Amino acid sequence: MLTFAGSALGKEGESIRRQLEHFQAMHPGIRVDVQSTPDAADHRHQLYVQWLNARAADPDVLQLDVIWAPEFAAAGWILDLDRFRPPVDDFFPAALTANRWNGALYALPWFVDVGMLYWRSDLMSHPPTDLDGLRQLAARGVREHAIPFGFVWQGARYEGLVTVFLEQLGAFGAVILDDHGRVAVDSDRAVAALTYMRDSIHVDAVVPAAVLTWQEEQVRLAFQNGQAVFMRNWPYAHALLQDPEQSRVAGRFGIAPMPAASGGAPTAALGGSVLAINANSGDSEAAYQLIEYLLEPAQLLERARIVGQYPPRPSMYDSHELEDALRVVPSEARAIIEHAVPRPATPVYTELSQILQIALHRGLTRQLEPRAALQQAAKDMRALLARTELGATQP
Amino acid sequence: MMALPALSVIALIALGPVLWAVWESLYLHDLRMPWLGRRFIGLQNYVEAFSDPRFWGAIGHTVAFAAVSVTSELVLGLALAAAVDSMMRGRGVVRTAMLLPWAVPTVVVGLVWRFLFETPGGLMNTMLVRSGATPPIWFADPLAAWVPVVLADVWKTTPFVALLLLAGLQNIDRTLYEAARIDGASAWRQFTAITLPLLKPALLVALVFRTVDAFRVFDVIFVMTSGGPGTATETIAMYTFSALLENLRFGYGSALSVIIFTVTFVLALFAIRLMGRRALVEPSS
Repeated sequence: MLTFAGSALGKEGESIRRQLEHFQAMHPGIRVDVQSTPDAADHRHQLYVQWLNARAADPDVLQLDVIWAPEFAAAGWILDLDRFRPPVDDFFPAALTANRWNGALYALPWFVDVGMLYWRSDLMSHPPTDLDGLRQLAARGVREHAIPFGFVWQGARYEGLVTVFLEQLGAFGAVILDDHGRVAVDSDRAVAALTYMRDSIHVDAVVPAAVLTWQEEQVRLAFQNGQAVFMRNWPYAHALLQDPEQSRVAGRFGIAPMPAASGGAPTAALGGSVLAINANSGDSEAAYQLIEYLLEPAQLLERARIVGQYPPRPSMYDSHELEDALRVVPSEARAIIEHAVPRPATPVYTELSQILQIALHRGLTRQLEPRAALQQAAKDMRALLARTELGATQP
Repeated sequence: MMALPALSVIALIALGPVLWAVWESLYLHDLRMPWLGRRFIGLQNYVEAFSDPRFWGAIGHTVAFAAVSVTSELVLGLALAAAVDSMMRGRGVVRTAMLLPWAVPTVVVGLVWRFLFETPGGLMNTMLVRSGATPPIWFADPLAAWVPVVLADVWKTTPFVALLLLAGLQNIDRTLYEAARIDGASAWRQFTAITLPLLKPALLVALVFRTVDAFRVFDVIFVMTSGGPGTATETIAMYTFSALLENLRFGYGSALSVIIFTVTFVLALFAIRLMGRRALVEPSS
């Protein structure tokens, strides 16, 4: 008797229920129940914390947001999966890094989300390859084609802003935490990245100031209505933008990696869901069998077809089946995923992100200069890591 | 003896949780960081709060919000009450209709006002742009973000204040005004010499209720700005929510709750003293 907890609404629910039925038919000894959990990440997280903190034995298999794995691992709530010898070479390396804590692997990626650049193929023949090109093409679109916005991204004070910033950091060759876990978000390159973001709003005016209140959907609607030359968003937007019923840009846009400045590299923030096993599960062997089954290429392909989510196995990106399922060119998608960078793998990621969200928003709304905002963030992050006894692992 | 059941209920539902929160506030208890354990740390949570700029920012925002919104509500509420009081007919209907904003749930009020000020496309922005103005991006500007928040709060609670003051106005003996008129007192003089002094108890009750409420303001801010941009509209209740329910820092969050409780409690005590005990015990005399 197993319980699976995760998204069980709409198409995702349809897909997981069918997969679980199939799994039970293959394993007559195992019964699996679905425990539906809220789709809002914060609410799901809070529910999981309550269950796991109370040492409940179910749910056995948990669908986690990729940023929670180190937190749950450090709390001792989920099992170290190395004992099952998972086929680690079959997954995108970045998607695994995000699930490691203290050198052990605590979860396996189920699907990957990556931040990417959506560009208007009717206004240009190639997507920009660097940040200057992006700015020029955005400005030209506004000037010559009377499109209101050059570039739109998620700028409200929430997790999405951190993923946008992470991509800009990569573009300038900076990081939030360095390889030793030390806070590096106040480096000169990081300041340059935040300054670029701020100036694109308030100086170059290619990004509308309204993005400072926008999340994914407002950004998608602006691009979908033909009001923006470029958009930064997740893969989910792709299918919706291709639907001529609701989209004015159907067939007139492409996807590309986010461009970089000199000294940096194109970077895609890594999101998505991972699968983990409750440390108090009564039957962890069966739980792992279920995870193994859900991660089989055939099952991932079905999920890609029904829900439109990108599989975490690079080998699948060579097949035509995936192209049919996702309606994107797999090599293009793969090129973006290979630039994926996970957010810092630390048990206090949520708190770290909150500090950063506030600082970034202060910088972007011109309450603080970028350098002062990031110095404040770095100071608060160092205090947090010290308070939680998670300081840098090496001096 | 007769008071024993009542007292025990109060102890159970009021005093108990408060004392528990005080006890909890002396512990390090981060639900999300079980590896830190649950240790007794004395007043460390309070030290952290008092040395945290975000805490002081939240206190400052709360005080400013309370001052501006309560003042506006008292002034507008008094004007509204005076207008209704001077009506010859239909007072009952107006009095009921006036309460409509008060009857709308605060979350709904917040959402409606947020939509009005949304950028672009909100009604307020569209109107301002049409009349040639360049409105700010309301919720991305640390000062402008307060405008919709305060407006929503004033819109919702002015009727409540007006109703309290209307009851006070209707208690004033009409013959006082007749005598004043015979003596040749102007309308303004009547207002300052008769209305205001006799309305003082009602004004104080309204002031206390609204100040205590404003100090705990949460829902309207949560719905409209979540405390942003940055933390420019974060009030102390909002900050406590973030520490307690988002970050699950039970010890630190409890310390913040105890601070809010103490401040509102002192405010209430001070107000009771100011009004004189009689205002509460025998409001009619």
